[in-house]
Amino acid sequence: MRLASALNNRALGPFSGRLGFLGLALIYLVLIAACLGSLAQEGELSLGRSPIANLLKTAGEFARPSFLDVWFGNPNLEYRSDDGTLLRSENRQTVEMDYLAGLGRATWTTIRIATLGSLLGALLALPLAVMTARNLAAPKPLAWLAKGVLDVARSIHTLVFGLVLVGIVGLGPTAGILAIGLHSMGTYGKLFAEAIESLDMAAIDAVRSVGAGPVQVFFNAVWPSVLPQFVSSHLYIWEFNIRDSTILGLIGAGGLGLLITEATSLFQWGRLSTVLLVVIALVVSFDALSRRIRMALA
Amino acid sequence: MSSLPCIALHEVRCAAEGRVLLEIDRLTINHGERIAIVGHNGAGKSTLLRLLSGFMPPSHGQIEVLGHSLSQPLPGADLRALRVELGQVMQGLHLVARLSARENVLIGSLGRVTGWRSWTRYFPAHEVSRAEAALQAVGLLPRAQTRADKLSGGERQKVAIARLLMQGPRLILADEPTAALDPSAAAEVCQLLVKAAAEATLITVVHNPALLPLLAERVIGLKNGRIAFDLPVAAVNDEKLLNLYRPDAAQENPLSSNDSRTTMELPCPGTA
Repeated sequence: MRLASALNNRALGPFSGRLGFLGLALIYLVLIAACLGSLAQEGELSLGRSPIANLLKTAGEFARPSFLDVWFGNPNLEYRSDDGTLLRSENRQTVEMDYLAGLGRATWTTIRIATLGSLLGALLALPLAVMTARNLAAPKPLAWLAKGVLDVARSIHTLVFGLVLVGIVGLGPTAGILAIGLHSMGTYGKLFAEAIESLDMAAIDAVRSVGAGPVQVFFNAVWPSVLPQFVSSHLYIWEFNIRDSTILGLIGAGGLGLLITEATSLFQWGRLSTVLLVVIALVVSFDALSRRIRMALA
Repeated sequence: MSSLPCIALHEVRCAAEGRVLLEIDRLTINHGERIAIVGHNGAGKSTLLRLLSGFMPPSHGQIEVLGHSLSQPLPGADLRALRVELGQVMQGLHLVARLSARENVLIGSLGRVTGWRSWTRYFPAHEVSRAEAALQAVGLLPRAQTRADKLSGGERQKVAIARLLMQGPRLILADEPTAALDPSAAAEVCQLLVKAAAEATLITVVHNPALLPLLAERVIGLKNGRIAFDLPVAAVNDEKLLNLYRPDAAQENPLSSNDSRTTMELPCPGTA
């Protein structure tokens, strides 16, 4: 009985049926055990010397974001050397005010990188999506080539693209825009191709049946069915890219990521907290906006 | 019009995968006639409509529709010229789902409106008012701005008929335009269809015999790809229809590759 069902399973493929699922679960358990076991053996599974104290200290600093100093900062903070001579004094309030202004500029850079990068990705992906969509039946070698380009673009992370591009075009937003564009081209291509594949053939027949020419069919049947899906995917990936571009500063592409690296390398958790609040506000508000537009288009 | 008939078939034979779908020695349909085609699933009704709309060429024989010879596949431009004069209503509710009822009706004018106006869907004012008149004629003017996928099945068929009015074709082919509708909506759609075809030749594939007197003056019965009878509607009685739909006949052709419908309305004696 068992044997018969096992044979049956083999006919359906190695992972189907109840036995196949059990096997999969076992393989998964073995993998988990291997990961945990090897890390423990190498002594890499520790939480550091005093995790609780560190956690409390970090959390305490995070709980006091640096922007509060704009109102509550010491207007005359004095730095003295060990023997008591005054080295310099600063007004914490104006210092933090300047930092906020810099933060605003960095946010704008991040938005510019994400917006232009997304547009670039969408434009690059459009012809490739047309080539890969199965129902448009582009010549086979062309389809494979386009699919290959999209797969490569999708599998290389934005940061990796960024690192390479910084080496080519230098530090700055251009590298970020190109990195975002090249990586999201892969995702755009896939979503666009799916939109084209789910095209309503009845609509095309309807327009064709009154004697419309190919251009008229495109603008009256294909375009109205595909455009809302294109716009919706565009907003979706744009949203992702806003998030992605906050990290691109890490590699010198400018924007919020630069401030994040700066704050972390100086252990200024208060400032990091301010930057992260801006990132969260940016992502959440763009999320809400794009969701609303996408719902209106559905 | 001309002395040429609207449709002329001569020794037409259509075969696919070694099976004869349609075999018609001679069939002539004159301008302005109202024709209903009846027959069991796979009898060749849809094949006949596809031949007439230039969708597929016959294996043998001559077909003339509105002066175009369809014996060979038509080149694109000629096919489009034929389709401008040929209105089609399909059971599959062929509308552009994402466009409004009014824009769907305006699609009927694409044979006349060309260039950038037809690409941007910025139609000239007189076409727009004509489209609204067409919607008024089918009683859907209040729904003009509603998107086609928000309309009911009956309303969609009415939009398709308003598109016919807009197109003003000389020949109308309707493939079971009432298949998805309830009886009262079906009768209404049939009446509108006949009204829309006032200036044209109307050929309808019908399953419900109750609708025959509404739609046709002449009834062509198809059985296993051949014409079983070709009679005025008054001469078609229950016995003739039952003969046509007799199960043994249908079972010889169990696969209806050219018919995509899943249910068949059986004729109910007494309604015809």
